[in-house]
Amino acid sequence: MSKQVPETIKKQAKRSFNSKEVKQEKNQKRMKLLKEIHEKAYKRAEKYEKEYLEQEQKLVELKQKALKEGSFYREPEPKLAFIIRIRGIVGVPPKPRKILQLLRLRRIYSGVFIRLNKSSLRMLHFIDPYVTWGYPDVETVRALIYKRGHARVNHQRKIIDSNEMIYDKLQKYDIVCMEDLVHEIFTVGKNFKHANSFLWAFKLKPPVGGFSTVKKSFVNKGEHGNREQYINTLVKKMI
Amino acid sequence: MTTQQLRPIVSVFPIKGKVKTIKQVPLPSVFSAPIRPDVVRFVHTNMAKNNRQAHAVSTTAGEQTSATSWGTGRAVARIPRVKGSGTGRSGQAAFGNMCRGGRMYAPKKVWRKWHRKINTNQKRYAVCSAIAATAVTPLVMSRGHRVNKLPELPLVVSDQLQSLTKTRQAVKFLKFIGAYRDVEKVIRTKKTRVGQGKYRNRRHVLRKGPMVVYARNLGIKKAFRNIPGVETASVYTLNLLKLAPGSQMGRFIIWTESAFKLLEDIYGSWEKPSKFKSGFYLPRPVMVNTDVERIIKSDQVQTVLRNRRPRSRKYGKKIQRADPYEDMSVMVKLNPYYKTKLQKQKELDEKNKKERKEIVDKSRKEYEDWLYFSEEEEEEEEEGSDEDREIEVLSDEN
Repeated sequence: MSKQVPETIKKQAKRSFNSKEVKQEKNQKRMKLLKEIHEKAYKRAEKYEKEYLEQEQKLVELKQKALKEGSFYREPEPKLAFIIRIRGIVGVPPKPRKILQLLRLRRIYSGVFIRLNKSSLRMLHFIDPYVTWGYPDVETVRALIYKRGHARVNHQRKIIDSNEMIYDKLQKYDIVCMEDLVHEIFTVGKNFKHANSFLWAFKLKPPVGGFSTVKKSFVNKGEHGNREQYINTLVKKMI
Repeated sequence: MTTQQLRPIVSVFPIKGKVKTIKQVPLPSVFSAPIRPDVVRFVHTNMAKNNRQAHAVSTTAGEQTSATSWGTGRAVARIPRVKGSGTGRSGQAAFGNMCRGGRMYAPKKVWRKWHRKINTNQKRYAVCSAIAATAVTPLVMSRGHRVNKLPELPLVVSDQLQSLTKTRQAVKFLKFIGAYRDVEKVIRTKKTRVGQGKYRNRRHVLRKGPMVVYARNLGIKKAFRNIPGVETASVYTLNLLKLAPGSQMGRFIIWTESAFKLLEDIYGSWEKPSKFKSGFYLPRPVMVNTDVERIIKSDQVQTVLRNRRPRSRKYGKKIQRADPYEDMSVMVKLNPYYKTKLQKQKELDEKNKKERKEIVDKSRKEYEDWLYFSEEEEEEEEEGSDEDREIEVLSDEN
């Protein structure tokens, strides 16, 4: 006597969303998408490398030109800053506490990118004693996002382990891969807000070699406040 | 219930001769009433309290002394003690529930509420459930009745049964129909009661056997009276305590044909009320179709469901990814251009290195040439005048 398959199972097998064909189709679509993303990622990375190089060279050119003419070249003010909280949570007055919360710097050695404009500069002014910040270069931004970049996915902190993750969330802002993300952050593009909020606040390690004194500002041989390009060396020690 | 119900057919069997269907009757609606063990249990536990006799402890028990406490200062507990002397009883503690010969804690009173009122509808609901359960073979079997050899359940038998007068006839009938195994069980398991009931005129304990339900008693009561375990009942007065003994549904019942048919009138249906219980309709079940699994898996439900949301397993698990700056495969996955970039950089570095090397080599060579040349000059000019030598040296430097 042949083995009788229960009717419900037969019916279930017939239904579309369970069938092998549909699953295969989905899988194929996904593979295709991944290939697309891969190709895009390659091309865009190439493009951005050129772009960064060009930017550097341009800067040098303009400076040299100015020197020749005997004038000065005023570089554009930095648009991007990386802030690291270097003081703990005990004994912080309400206003700085609130600002630190708004900037997602909720714990010590957490770091975030921020767009520099008048409003954010004023915010930074209030939290100067609790943070150190500066202007990161491409390699720093890259290192942070590649090594310590976690995405906010479904209200969860998940490490960015594939470009697919970025595609799913940021495709509508034309950010499909890591290099896109880096570019958007570094050049503070149109969708900087979305790229930045996609990233969870960076959790950094205490710096190798330590701090001198957090109580003083960087300018006074301490550590807090604006340290402009020296943020890059600090991040290297903390990443 | 809301639609015309298709009622199954039940066979009627004779009381002797051959066990075969002599007639077929439709199953009364009661047998499709919802089977609610919770209702039956509730009604049964309360109903069972109704045949209790009051008992209590004597009102004066333990109080028939004039004991008084000795108070403090006598190195004894402050419990009331029997007055007087000259007997062992004197000075003994009295009155307390902890005392020997004292009154018990909270002496039982006769005016305890012995009986319980149960809502009529609840009672009827329970009886309907219990009757419905008697047609469900697994329930009857699980109650412990031996019903393997029965031709059918519910077992309906011709009305001739009602006219039996002799016990011998009754036993013969039970054997004929296959119900005697249940009676045998009862006989076999007759035991002395465990506990003090045995010397309180409740010496033996019997199991419950088949119950015979009739419409008219034309001798049937007496015929079945003496058979151990067998009970008879009129269909008009079915008792829950008999239908579900111990609040366990599924009594084995043998119906006579007219009793069986009367069930439709006595309990009514969902459309027609009962003829005997005014305004009573059969209870409605909460669910018409209790096969929930089947409902869920039915086409009507499944086709209307949205597709199952894909479990995003890709970022479901906590993935510990390696550091891309240490693991090239991870880096390439994130940035496919990286390898090319490294390569280009490498080429650039090499190119720069090469250029630099050329420059360095060239300048070194120049220096060596000058050095060599100047040495030669020195040798040649050993015999010449100082002035000439100086001039030549200067010109070489330029």
